[in-house]
Order: sequence, then structure tokens, then C-alpha cells
Amino acid sequence: MTKLQFRILYREFLFRLVDREVLSPQEGDSGRLLARFATVLIILSLLFTLAVLQLDNGQLTYQALLISAWATEHALIATTMLLVGLFAVLSWDSTFPDRRDVLVLAPLPVRASTMFLAKVTSLAAALSLTVAIFNAAPGFLLPLTVASASAGFLEMFLSPDFYRMFAAYWITMFASGAFILCSVLCAQGIAAQLPRALFLRLSALLQVAALCLFVGVYFLEPGLTSPQALASGRNQHLLAWLPSYWFLGLFQRLNGSLDGMTRPTLVALANRASIGLALAVAGAGTAFLLSYVRTLRKIIEQPDIVPASRRLSWLPRLGNGVETAITHFTIRTLLRSRQHRVILSFYSGIGFAIVILFMRTPFAQRLSAGSASNYWNQVSLPLLASSFVMMCFWTLGIRAVFALPVELRANWIFRNTQIRGAPDYFAASRRAIYVLALALVLSASAALFLSIWPWAPAAGHLLVLALAGITVAEICLYGFHKIPFACSYLPGKTNLHMIFCSCLIFGLSATYWSADFERRALSDQTKYAWMLALLCIAAGCARWRTAWANSGMDLRFEEELAPVISELGLHRDGILPVETPLDASSPRA
Amino acid sequence: MLEVREVSKRFPGVVAVDHVSFSARAGEVTGYLGPNGSGKSTTMKMITGLMELTSGEILFDAVPVRDDPIAYRRRMGYVPEEPHLYSHLSGLEFLTMVAQLRGLLAKSSAARIDGLLRLFSLHPDRHAAISSYSKGMRQKVLLSAALLHNPDLILLDEPFSGLDVGSALVLRSLIQELAARGKVILFSSHELDTVERVCSHIVILHRGKVVADDSISHLRTLMALPTLEKIFAELAVEQDTESISREIADLIQA
Repeated sequence: MTKLQFRILYREFLFRLVDREVLSPQEGDSGRLLARFATVLIILSLLFTLAVLQLDNGQLTYQALLISAWATEHALIATTMLLVGLFAVLSWDSTFPDRRDVLVLAPLPVRASTMFLAKVTSLAAALSLTVAIFNAAPGFLLPLTVASASAGFLEMFLSPDFYRMFAAYWITMFASGAFILCSVLCAQGIAAQLPRALFLRLSALLQVAALCLFVGVYFLEPGLTSPQALASGRNQHLLAWLPSYWFLGLFQRLNGSLDGMTRPTLVALANRASIGLALAVAGAGTAFLLSYVRTLRKIIEQPDIVPASRRLSWLPRLGNGVETAITHFTIRTLLRSRQHRVILSFYSGIGFAIVILFMRTPFAQRLSAGSASNYWNQVSLPLLASSFVMMCFWTLGIRAVFALPVELRANWIFRNTQIRGAPDYFAASRRAIYVLALALVLSASAALFLSIWPWAPAAGHLLVLALAGITVAEICLYGFHKIPFACSYLPGKTNLHMIFCSCLIFGLSATYWSADFERRALSDQTKYAWMLALLCIAAGCARWRTAWANSGMDLRFEEELAPVISELGLHRDGILPVETPLDASSPRA
Repeated sequence: MLEVREVSKRFPGVVAVDHVSFSARAGEVTGYLGPNGSGKSTTMKMITGLMELTSGEILFDAVPVRDDPIAYRRRMGYVPEEPHLYSHLSGLEFLTMVAQLRGLLAKSSAARIDGLLRLFSLHPDRHAAISSYSKGMRQKVLLSAALLHNPDLILLDEPFSGLDVGSALVLRSLIQELAARGKVILFSSHELDTVERVCSHIVILHRGKVVADDSISHLRTLMALPTLEKIFAELAVEQDTESISREIADLIQA
């Protein structure tokens, strides 16, 4: 009975890791969503496979190849850890049963331990699948590439080295993933020991903090994969704090490739990995188990009606009624929806990591070599570029979360109260993105720049930033025929943003070049006027393009895929006596 | 007056509503009845404009609704069958948002919202998130949102769902009061006792088709049956309820 219950609950929880509520009821299903996630993982996997294939140019000895593979191995370990970390953060609420689970399952003869096991197993299975899909190609090719350098193709398959490396690779990847998952569970379990109300508040903060940590570490950790860097005494302290290097050490130990001057470092790192993993597993097991029964009871005991509390909910009027209603709705949703805040944190986390890259790393020092040495009190490249990066990533993040619905079935209220034309609602969406993205970043930038720079260049830069922000916001709003958070979502529609993000990340030098141009323009009125004129034209064109795309369009509340078969619509012309096609929008009430 | 003319709705493999015609007059409450799956809520959604018609036409005050849907929506209030609300908003925030979306003046709408919250006993919880509201409280929020703009046409789909006895009695009187003030009210419910007390005219739907469209008193006389429950059972219930209940009891004992 318990086994059967476990299997049923496991399957139910596994498919519930993806929030089906956000999908279009017509076109979307969790299978499609999972397929799209898998596609993203496969593409990432193929990109790393290309890196693996370039390892062997036929000129390296086996030992040299082992060392040259460290950078790729480290990148694979770090990316695996990031993916598991992201998955764990995004399924944060799935680790504990929600109120619905408890209300449905509590009257049934299901033990709390069965529910607990099913929850944890489903989470672990999903994460294992993520690790397996991502590592499928490199996990086979890396051992193949390295082992083939020491022997012929046939000999290689007979050699135990190949199988040892193969096993080492997969053990390391799953161990690194387990370390991240258990660390997240441990943090949650410890937080769950606090009073329930405090836990719920702290849990939201922890989730965002974990996300920022994973993204920040991934983008900021230095490359220390050369033998010299690993053996260097001044890097030891840093290596001791970077788990991805621990698991690189573990990989080398399991692989049996501990030789030369890096041996002590790699052994120490491997030990750290083993101890870290053991602590994480034990900590997660204990804290999570302790908190589980307690949390279950609290969920049941939680009253249906909580005492009213007067919130600080006043917001200023922002335009006409529709604009005010939609902007207020957007602000409140963003402030109160954890799911949306996490996704926004992801975008701002990347932006923040790039800002730190600009401010603190040798890369920034090199690029800003020509600028003033004290870049805090004078117009400097890193600060100019950083404000632009934050504006772009924050705006992109806001636009991305706008596409994800909140309580999709409640959007009937917008349909039912639509007493104006669609352009009024498009204007309201624009108002919302201007308030939440542009106004916010500009306010923060104004506070910073006006306090540290002379007012003239600070005001000049704020004007440039505003125009750049309008351009980015208008590009983001192109084709957005929706009310924020009120339309169903089909994954894969945010390609444009990912392309834009990628361009920005890979075009950091271009960002720096633009900032350098602005720095010079701020001290030359003619250049500045030209730059403003160009930015005005760019912003105007972007706005015109968005308005053109919006003209004649209706508000959209359902995301639909393009049909595989296009209907010719001949019946409309009376050519064929075909009945009007059946409406497939909804089941019978 | 609301006129539904030959309205049909087809989904793949099923005709949910089949050439339904009826009218609801100002000053009276029209009951819209039918068993589960008969097409009541589908018709309601088509009347509100949430769902497209496959064929037919809906007119309000002799003007086709599709000619000017925005003007129609200004005059219509709707309580849906299920209380789907933005639960992260408080009751006050939700109603304020509805008032703003409906273009009501801030000052007058604030007073009206405050009054509705007080009269529906929601005032003490107005700042609490809707997620913490009971089903009855959510229903009251829906009713307030539907009445906020003083609509001429009121569509009520299972409005008594989740309401306590006191609130249900208030709503029953309110429906009659609004009808007396000249509103067009279309009222769908499974509670036949309430329908019998509130409605002057009923439309019974069965398998997507209208099987009765008349006043209750005339139907009683015509069918020689004493209550609406008997009339409904005669027209829309195909099953032998007693034998089914016996079978269920036998089944769980087996």
C-alpha cells in the first residue's frame, strides 16, 4: 500500500514541479514545457561538446591533454552546479507540500513520511534528469577524447582508464549536483525551524539570495585551471571557498590523474568536496526531516482567515484610470509574487555580476586603463557602463516577468471590464514598464551620480541613460499585446530577450566603447548634442515601431502557437459549402 | 431587455449550446436553470463576451452586443460561477482596481466601495489578502465588483455559492430590490427553492436546448405540478434518482 502510494505521489509531485497554472490552457501542456527545457539543456550540452571536441588536436601527450582538459571539466562542473542551483531555486516551494496537498492528502490514509519521501525523490529525480541531459554528450565524449590520446580506438575500449574516467565524470557531476541540492534543502530546513510567519518571510529572501549567489559565483569566479594557478599559494584561500574547484579536485582524484606540483592542491580540494558533500547531505537530511512534520502540522493549523492588517498600500495616481489600475496591479504583483521576484532576480543578478566585473576585475582595469584612476568621484568608464548594463538587464527582467501570468483564471476581470480600446491598455503596459524599470533605475542612478559627481555630467548622463532606457523599453514592448501578468504563457517566446541578453554579455567591449564615447561627449558639447540627437532618433524609431506593431491589434489573453496547418478560409468566400470551423476554445460548461 | 437569439456554441465533438433563444426583461428576475453540463455557464460566458458565439445573436436594448461590445460592457455586471480573483490583492485593492478599470471617478468610487464592504461585512478584512478569504467572502467581493458601477444588466452565475444563511437572505432581497428598480437580471442557480422565491420567469436548459421558457406560475398550471423542483425533474432530469442512490449505496457496500 505504502509503495503504491509512494509511486502515485512521486509521479504527481514530479509533474507538479512545473507550475502548469501559467500555461495556456488551450495550447500549453507540461509535456511541451518540459520538452522546451530539455531542448535548452541539449543546446547547452552541444555547445560544451564543441569545446570538448577542440581539446584534442593530435599534438598533445596524454598527460598534457589531461591538464588542458581541466578548464573544460571545470566549466562543465560549474555549469552543472549552476543548473541544479537554478532548478532548486525555481522549485523552491515544491520541497514542502502546499496547503492544497495537505488538504487533499490529510483525510487519506497517507503517512507524512511517504509524502516526504515522494517529494524529495521527485525533486531528486528531476534534478538528476537535468544533470543527465546536460552531461549526456560531453559525459561520453570527454572520456573518449582523453582516453583516445593514450591508445588506439579499439585499445581504448579495452583499457580500464576509459571506464575509470567515464565513472569519475558521472560521479563528480552527480555529486556536485547533490551538493548544491542538499545545501539548498539544508538552508530551507534550518529556516523552517523558525516560527512559521518568520520562516515564510525569510524563505522568500533566502530564495532570492541563493539565486544571486549561484549566478554571481558562476559569472565571477576566476579561471584557476592552469597548473600554476592551482599550485600558487596566494590562490589557495580563494580555491577553498569555490565548490566548483573542490569537485574538479574530486574528479582528478577519482580519475587517478593526481601528479606533479598540483597534487597537494587537488587532494585538498577533493577532500573538501567529500567533506562538503557529506555535511550537506547530513545537514539536509536532519534539518529537513526535523522541519517536515512540524511544517505539515503548521500548514493544517494555519487559519483560513488571518487577522486584517492595514498595509501600506497607498500608491500615487499614474495617469488615467486604466493606466493607474494596471500600473498599481503590476507593482503589487511584483512586490508580492515570489515566483516573479525570483525571475527578476535572475536577470538583475546577471546584470549585477557584470557590474562587479566592470568595477573590480583586471578586465575592467585593463579596459579603463585610459580613464581616471579614482573613478568614484569623476566621470569614469566603469560607472557609466555599469548604469547602462543595469538599465538593460532590469528592463529585460521586468519585461520577462510581465509575460508570466499570476492567477491566470482571474484575468476574466480584465476582459469583463474592458471599456476602452486596446491602445489604452497598451499605453498602460508602457506606463507600467516605464515606472517599474526606467523610473526605478533612473532614481537609483540619480541618487548615486548626483551624490558623487558634479551635477552637470551627472545630469548629462542621466539624460543619456533615460533615452537609452526608453529605447530598450520600447524594443521590449514590441509585439507585447497584453496586460502584464494577465496572459497565459508558452515557453520559448522570450527568445528575443535571451538573444539581447547574450548580445549584451558578449558585447561587453562594445558597451565599454559606448561608455567611453559618452565620457568624451560629456566634456564636449557638440559631441554631446550629436549623441543626444542620435539617441532621440533611436528612441523615437523604437517607439514608432512598437506603436506600428500595436496598431489594429486586440488585447491578447491567451498565448497561442502558430498552427501547424494553415486554414485557407475558403468557406468565408462562399466557395466551398463548409461549415464554420468548430471552436476549440473551451470545454462545455 | 436582453435577447438571446438562436445562439449556438460548438466544441469539437459536442454541441454545448444548441440554438438557444430567450429574453430577460427589465424589472424581472429571469432564472436560468439546467443540470450540470447543460450549457448554462457557456451561455453566461457568451452573454458576457468571454466566449465567442458559434452562431446566433445577442441583443441588449435591441442593439446587437457585438456592434459595440465596449458600450455593452459598461452596462453589464457579472458574477462568475467560480470565484477566481487575484488573491495577492486585498479586497479593497481588488475593488479599487475594478473601479479604475471601469473608469469610475476616484472619489465617488471610494465611497461606494467603502459602503459595499461595510454592507457585505467585509470591512474589517478589507486590507487582508484575498488568499486568506473564505469562499463566501470571495463571493461577496465578486458581488461588490459586479454591482460597483450600477449596471443595467446583472448576470449572476451561482451567486449564492459559499454564502452563509444571513448573506444569502440579503442577496435574495437585493436581487428582488434591483429588479424592482428596473435592472435586467439573469440568474443561474441549482438552488431551486431560491429560484422559485426570487424569479418570476424561468428558462430551463437541457442538453444545450431550451425545454421551458415561461413564468413559474404558468408552468405549474401547464404541467399540473406543485413545485419548481417537480417541474425541473420532469423536464431536465432523466435519471431515476432513487434507484441511482440505491445503486451507489449497494456499490460501496459490495
